[in-house]
Amino acid sequence: MKLEKLREGLRRIAGRDVDAREDRGAIVLEGETDTWEARLAAGYFAANRGYRGVVNDIVAAEAPWAATEQPRGALTGAGNGDVGNGDVASGEHPLEGLSFDVAVVGGGVVGCAIARELSKWRISVILLEKEEDVACHTSSRNDGMIHDGFAAKPGTRKAAYNVRGNRLWEPLARELGIEFSRPGSIVIYESRAHAALYPAFASRAAKNGVDGWEYWSARRLRAEEPWVTGDQHGAFFLPSAGIISPYKATVALAESAAANGVRISLFTLATGFEREGNRITHVRTDRGNFSVKVVVNAAGNWADVVAGWADDRFFSLHQRRGTDMILDVQSGDFQRHIMAKPSLLQARTHTKGGGLVPTVEGNILVGPTANELPGRELYATSPAEIRQLERHIGLNLKLSPSMAITYFAGVRPCTWEEDFVIEPSRRVANLVHAAGIQSPGLASAPAIAEDVAKMTLDILGTSTRIVPNTAFRPFREAPVDLRRLSLEERAKLVARRPEYGRIVCRCEEVSEGEIRDAVRAPLSARSLDAVKRRVRAGMGRCHGGFCTPRVMEILASELGVELSEVTKKGPGSRIALGETKRRA
Amino acid sequence: MGAKRKFVCVVCPRGCALEVETDEGGLLVGVSGNACRRGEDYARSEIADPRRVLTTTVAIRGAALRRLPVKTAGAVPLGRLVEVCRALDGLIVEAPVACGDVILRDLCGLGVDLVATDSLERA
Amino acid sequence: MVSRKDYDVLVVGGGPAGLSAALSAAENGARTGIIEREDRLGGILKQCVHDGFGLVRFGEQLAGPEYARRFADRVVEATSKGTVLATHLGAFVHAARRETCGDGGVRYVLECVSRDEGVFVAAARSLVLATGCRERTDRQVFIHGERPAGVFTAGLAQHLVNIEGLLPGHRAVILGSGDIGLIMARRLFLEGVEVEGVYEIKSEPSGLSRNVRQCLEDFGIPLNLSTTVTAVHGDRRVQGVTVASVDRRGTPIPGSERYVECDTLVLSVGLIPENELAVSLGLALDPATRGPRVDQEGRMAEAERADEGIFVCGNALHVNDLVDYVSESGEQAGRAAALFAAARREGVPIPERELIPVKAGSGFLYAVPQFIDRARGGKAVLYFRVNATRAEGGVVRVASGGATVLKKRYAVLRPPEMERLEIDVAAVPEGATQISLELADKGEGDGR
Repeated sequence: MKLEKLREGLRRIAGRDVDAREDRGAIVLEGETDTWEARLAAGYFAANRGYRGVVNDIVAAEAPWAATEQPRGALTGAGNGDVGNGDVASGEHPLEGLSFDVAVVGGGVVGCAIARELSKWRISVILLEKEEDVACHTSSRNDGMIHDGFAAKPGTRKAAYNVRGNRLWEPLARELGIEFSRPGSIVIYESRAHAALYPAFASRAAKNGVDGWEYWSARRLRAEEPWVTGDQHGAFFLPSAGIISPYKATVALAESAAANGVRISLFTLATGFEREGNRITHVRTDRGNFSVKVVVNAAGNWADVVAGWADDRFFSLHQRRGTDMILDVQSGDFQRHIMAKPSLLQARTHTKGGGLVPTVEGNILVGPTANELPGRELYATSPAEIRQLERHIGLNLKLSPSMAITYFAGVRPCTWEEDFVIEPSRRVANLVHAAGIQSPGLASAPAIAEDVAKMTLDILGTSTRIVPNTAFRPFREAPVDLRRLSLEERAKLVARRPEYGRIVCRCEEVSEGEIRDAVRAPLSARSLDAVKRRVRAGMGRCHGGFCTPRVMEILASELGVELSEVTKKGPGSRIALGETKRRA
Repeated sequence: MGAKRKFVCVVCPRGCALEVETDEGGLLVGVSGNACRRGEDYARSEIADPRRVLTTTVAIRGAALRRLPVKTAGAVPLGRLVEVCRALDGLIVEAPVACGDVILRDLCGLGVDLVATDSLERA
Repeated sequence: MVSRKDYDVLVVGGGPAGLSAALSAAENGARTGIIEREDRLGGILKQCVHDGFGLVRFGEQLAGPEYARRFADRVVEATSKGTVLATHLGAFVHAARRETCGDGGVRYVLECVSRDEGVFVAAARSLVLATGCRERTDRQVFIHGERPAGVFTAGLAQHLVNIEGLLPGHRAVILGSGDIGLIMARRLFLEGVEVEGVYEIKSEPSGLSRNVRQCLEDFGIPLNLSTTVTAVHGDRRVQGVTVASVDRRGTPIPGSERYVECDTLVLSVGLIPENELAVSLGLALDPATRGPRVDQEGRMAEAERADEGIFVCGNALHVNDLVDYVSESGEQAGRAAALFAAARREGVPIPERELIPVKAGSGFLYAVPQFIDRARGGKAVLYFRVNATRAEGGVVRVASGGATVLKKRYAVLRPPEMERLEIDVAAVPEGATQISLELADKGEGDGR
């Protein structure tokens, strides 16, 4: 009955060529549509109709490739000459024949937080990341906001994990030695009618368990944010909203996990599972197959593909891209709080949102946009998205698009229900999913990690005795950050280690010593982009125009490679393709 | 039959737009558009035998840097610039070098020397 | 722990502007220090291995490093001879602040750090900012698409080729016909790189005509006007770019897009004066030049107090087309900074300035300096650029209080070419409230 109704509705919305069937509690959509838009409409229509999940296998004629897209690793298609990373020669299989208690698939913020959580126990853990570094995808391509939890729909997993994660980040950031602050977020009332919604806002915040909220009058708003434009009618203030550097946070989690015994295996593309009965016995990768007791699926935009390897695809992901623009650091002088437009609050979270977010480094970040695209790693930016962002800039009188130093796109992995999937597999006995982690995934990551680690240990505990890792060190030795030192402290440091006195990146004031540290760290930075993510060299207004050759020299000397072998982001991305005066 | 050609004088940054007239034999009849005498000389040589100074680099060993900037001490035929440049492939100079030092004499038999345009000490 | 070095004049930047400023300050008796962030003096000229420098000043065509040598060698000589000059190499200015001297005057204190000297502070009565300029990047001209390796600003490509001896790629597209872009087209071509073409969004080249001739036409490199790059393709290394024709407003024309295969994109899309220090010291920037506003000696114009001695010169003030003018502006600023510091040291009152604003009328991009101090007298040099090509030339009239201060005819006026005027300050009438630059057609101008 339920299914028949659904089929009818689907055909009305997406055409005659679509169909639906039930599969082990999930609903599977099949058939064909002309447009991507129609495929999306079908997916949303099937969501929240009493099924465990929506698997949207409809092929859109305008983007047929999206149906069969497979992950590609950093080494996929890379010739030996392209590697430029010393020891990571393709063709080696260092993982072959090894065995681990837990394998975490995916080195985003969620996978790294889970790995670190697991490192509190005396078990063997490997984290697989297909790229040359952690945080190469969604985790480095977002606005760094640690949401307060107000925007999430009450009763969802998102709401609960967000609020818990928000509380956990502050002590966690201290342990990891990374910057975290709570500028607070303001939702501006654009009209009197808006302002009248305050009780509804407050009740939603209360339902979600958000830590504190306040009503701000128009006068208060102007006092707090003098450059806010227009005739605003006050604001809803959420003091718990925080900001963090998302890539530094992910790197720090991975480094802390590594320091506590987790093996971080970069350049490693998982390609499938071997199963016996209802258990996964081995993980297959392009660098060897190994045996495993429990697998954690934290594969971001590929989590549904990974679930499929265990015949457990009860959800599927669609990709909503967000573009953010970073304004010059001077912009940071004109705004203290996160500022959002009320459209953020719309129930359908896949509509456009976004606002202006200060970063821990003092820039203002504009965004993100929200556009559904047929591809899991499509990061090309477009003029239309920039035009959308320019409208946000209009919220603050002092900001202008000419302050833009860069812009980038990220892709949110979304389920059709628009909620996180955090649960053990019901199909195989030893798989735990942390999937569909879209916004507010960064904010939620520490809470997700706690729960996923517990689920993992529960499974592992049935076959293995688990004892705490008494050697676990929560505090990570934080890298030197010159900008946070007083002149005297800096003088002492440079007297001892002169390489901290040589400034390589003039825009962000990064020294040679900090870059060498990033290459020598447990999770070594091996490319320009990896260095940039860790220490910001090349992230400033000149965008690497001056420091690129210097950073290349440091990388070449630390990695023991030729200057011409240094890459921007791993294999296949060499900066220079040869030398002058070297022709035969 | 004579011909008229227009081209930009490259003698100085002013970049005068020259109008050059030649006779049947390709000889210069008249130049206009030039602001100074050098423009006329340039037009004459540009018609008969265009030449340019080559500025480039050569590999250097023993200095803090990998390349030494050099130039030809005089102009060389435009048509042979690429050949002259290729002739420097594989050449390695030993530091120290002082600005103005002759790096190669009689480059490619053109009767023009290659000289250093910077000084690089021994590192 | 933190050592302190006191000078009369501190010059930030050891490129052409800073070197001539320091030499001229020292020649005028100032204890002068240079703070240079790189390990060698010469600034950007070190990587400009092409020739054409010094024609105005030396009457010769020098390569960039040769031109820089002429100044750097003198600085090195002066440094080894005595205490007049000290050069801090590899030193980065971390912060700048003001300090009040015992006599109530202002002193500028720079917090610096270098590998060899550690953290130190340098202080002086006069500060000369010769910080040069930086390049606009692909993001600042809103090029879209992916973010592969193989996208370079022209200056970065120049550094990689000329200093590091690296080849950026095998097949290059160059966006922007600024002088560095044109010079890099030739440079890459001669190193065996296939240069597919130069693309320019405007309907005329941005660089000097002679560079179009000797860098492109000499080698048959196509120049595509009214065309721009709209997107970059390739997720790891550039595989190609999309180019499109643009309309008169510079907007890509739908349907005109085509794909150009290449592994390298070089951008020459403009330079921006580098003025972080100036801004941190409270100097406002002229929106037209993006440099501070100054008088004819390069001294900051907005000094409310007469004792402010910040001077700005070279490309930090506005982007020059010829290094010869950069050196000239450094010399003026260095000399003035030395005299200013001497006066302060000896307790001589700084004469009151009579700043008359210079207004560049319609037809001009900008004029520098933004103010003429009438009380100074003597000669003042004015630089200007027009905002559009006037192939038929024109007459520039400098007028003040109804009087004509100077009139000059030009056979042709083009935005890439900066023009220089020397005016007699005494010709500015007493009580004048403005000095204006007016542009007239040749005929009109002659008629007056």
